[in-house]
Amino acid sequence: MAETATPAKAKVLVVDDSSLVRLYYRSALETAGFEVKQAINGIEAMERILSESFDLVIVDVNMPRMDGFTFLRSLRSGMADVATLPALMISTESGEQDMAEARVAGANFYLVKPVAEAELVRHVCVLTGVAL
Amino acid sequence: MDDSKGGSSFAVHISPEQVQRFCEFLYRRTGMSFAESKRYFIDRRLEDRITATGSSSFQEYFSLLRTDADQEIEHLINSFTVNETYFYREEHQLRCMTTSLLDAIVRQKKLGATLRIWSIPCSTGEEPYSIALWLMENWPQVDSYNIEIVGSDIDTRALKAATEGIYGDRALMRLSRDIVGRYFGPVTGGNYQIDEGLRNSIEFTRANLIDTKDMTQYRDFDLIFCRNVLIYFDDASRRLAAENLYDCLRPGGYICLGHSESMSRISPLFRVSRFPDAIVYQRPEADHG
Repeated sequence: MAETATPAKAKVLVVDDSSLVRLYYRSALETAGFEVKQAINGIEAMERILSESFDLVIVDVNMPRMDGFTFLRSLRSGMADVATLPALMISTESGEQDMAEARVAGANFYLVKPVAEAELVRHVCVLTGVAL
Repeated sequence: MDDSKGGSSFAVHISPEQVQRFCEFLYRRTGMSFAESKRYFIDRRLEDRITATGSSSFQEYFSLLRTDADQEIEHLINSFTVNETYFYREEHQLRCMTTSLLDAIVRQKKLGATLRIWSIPCSTGEEPYSIALWLMENWPQVDSYNIEIVGSDIDTRALKAATEGIYGDRALMRLSRDIVGRYFGPVTGGNYQIDEGLRNSIEFTRANLIDTKDMTQYRDFDLIFCRNVLIYFDDASRRLAAENLYDCLRPGGYICLGHSESMSRISPLFRVSRFPDAIVYQRPEADHG
């Protein structure tokens, strides 16, 4: 793809139970040119993913109703078109065990909060194949 | 409407010296200070109050103001504050929040824990929205805690406006163009509406600071902004409000008052905490006696 071409907007789903966190990520990503949708837990995220297509899902670990791990496991065991959706897991937990669990559940990458705007944008660009 | 910039058509003559005396008085009572360029703004409000109180001269009005007859100070302050709410007001306190207060607060918390911030009175929403914006723009740990911001006011009309979140240029004057572009969208009448996600991230409720029963619904706040309202109260109400606020705070939590207000003169319950950007008051970790 020519570097001068304007890339199609990649579409990202942000899943976090905190409205301020969703807003913070959304604002960073929209400023960088991404289209952002939101969900407040794993169940809502799964409903959205089944009804529209995304290029990446960003998912928090600790959420009520359906946590991030359960969500990822259920995503990966789903139909082929959603099972391969890249997933970036973001969590306050920095332990090896959590990172390993994220990997087993199907996360493509794991970031430990706090995540700065530039860091978030950089990883989202890599995972969606959008040039920085 | 835009008549008399020099004041010549005013029914009451006010000299520059009188305006200065008045401004000093206003500054001592509210912390509001106005540059010479705001003379027109001051004259108009002052003239309104002189007329409303039936005073025949500035001198007569000023004596009434100084003795606080008929709670004139409150009326005066209202007439001056109505249009003086804006985003990032008293920015040094917001800075204090992200450079000192939150770090002290989260030292006692686990990552991901809930952090509760209360804006009371929140008027038409500028303050709680400013807190949210400031946190997203200036606190690197904003995504590491579950931040709950509550805005409360006694005035339900103000709360309705707060939930709608529509503001004019004047309210946004302290915000950068970048922030306005990111979090506001243009609406009719040259106004701007704050982002829907941001509107939904703040819980707006009606609360009366001096109604103890009402205040028992509000607990476990880590940080309270209660600015420029205690000055409207008499000593007894002020003490009652302070005691209520104390109970709403978590032990170790902080309260920010307005520029001219001092908790030390109101209640001995709180401890003064001096930070580089602001002086705030803390509910001590452990209650003594």
